[in-house]
Amino acid sequence: MRLVEMDITKELKDNQVVLLLVEGLEYNDLSLKVAKELFGKKVCYVTLNKTCPSIIENFSKANIKTKGVTFVDAISKTITGRPKAVDSCMYLSSPGALTELSIAITEFIREGYDYIIFDSLTNLLIYQGKGPVAKFVANLITKIKASKTRAVFYALKVDQHQELIQEASMFVDKVVDASK
Amino acid sequence: MPKTIMVVDDEPDIRATVKTVLEKNGFKVITAVNGDDCLDKLKKEKPDLILLDIMMPGTPVKEIVPKIKGKIAYLTVVRVTEAEKEQLLKNKNIVDFIQKPFDIKDLVKRVTKLTS
Repeated sequence: MRLVEMDITKELKDNQVVLLLVEGLEYNDLSLKVAKELFGKKVCYVTLNKTCPSIIENFSKANIKTKGVTFVDAISKTITGRPKAVDSCMYLSSPGALTELSIAITEFIREGYDYIIFDSLTNLLIYQGKGPVAKFVANLITKIKASKTRAVFYALKVDQHQELIQEASMFVDKVVDASK
Repeated sequence: MPKTIMVVDDEPDIRATVKTVLEKNGFKVITAVNGDDCLDKLKKEKPDLILLDIMMPGTPVKEIVPKIKGKIAYLTVVRVTEAEKEQLLKNKNIVDFIQKPFDIKDLVKRVTKLTS
């Protein structure tokens, strides 16, 4: 499915958990497109590769309002140590802190958030092995499926991550390949 | 005498590419696979510049940087704002912030400038 044809709202209406595969060059466009479609609802945006202020700035430049969005930023603390406090942003210690990440996301599921955007699954592999990451994903998806929250997981479509993508594919309801 | 650059990155492709390109441009290049390996190699080597990936397994970069005395240029896929970049560059030995994916010619130009 080409990026321009993708309708993530519809995909998430039909499927509770979607794995979205994307090529590196289209990554930013995809992120903006999904945000444009989903923001406005109660959204939890988990970022492992952009700092929270940088994401807000990126969306703001594209005229995308982030009201109602709570960001879970797992990268800033690993770079700066003490990131500047930003409203609607929760800072975690590291993208590799899977337990911390799981606890934080579970709280948003409990609070009845409409959507979780996980950006991205493949970044986890920098810090953790395939085994712990696959287990984390399976547990998280189980929790999501026991709720009304819908989730989209981004994953970069590169050969070195193929194994994790295949494993994650078993747990999600649909894999959307936005790179084709 | 060629200037020495240490490339610290967990991605073998990045290490190999940057090494090849910089060596072709007259630099001596040593590589390290993560922050701990970097600190270990710095016991024997004194590079003129360290190209340090921000996102790596092992000890976090924020704990590695204070242990390094030489010049460091961050290499990173992580997106930050200009204000955050300026904040990071206030650290006395952080001299540049190079966003991945980078243009090879630009990288060589920046490394040349930072080591001249």
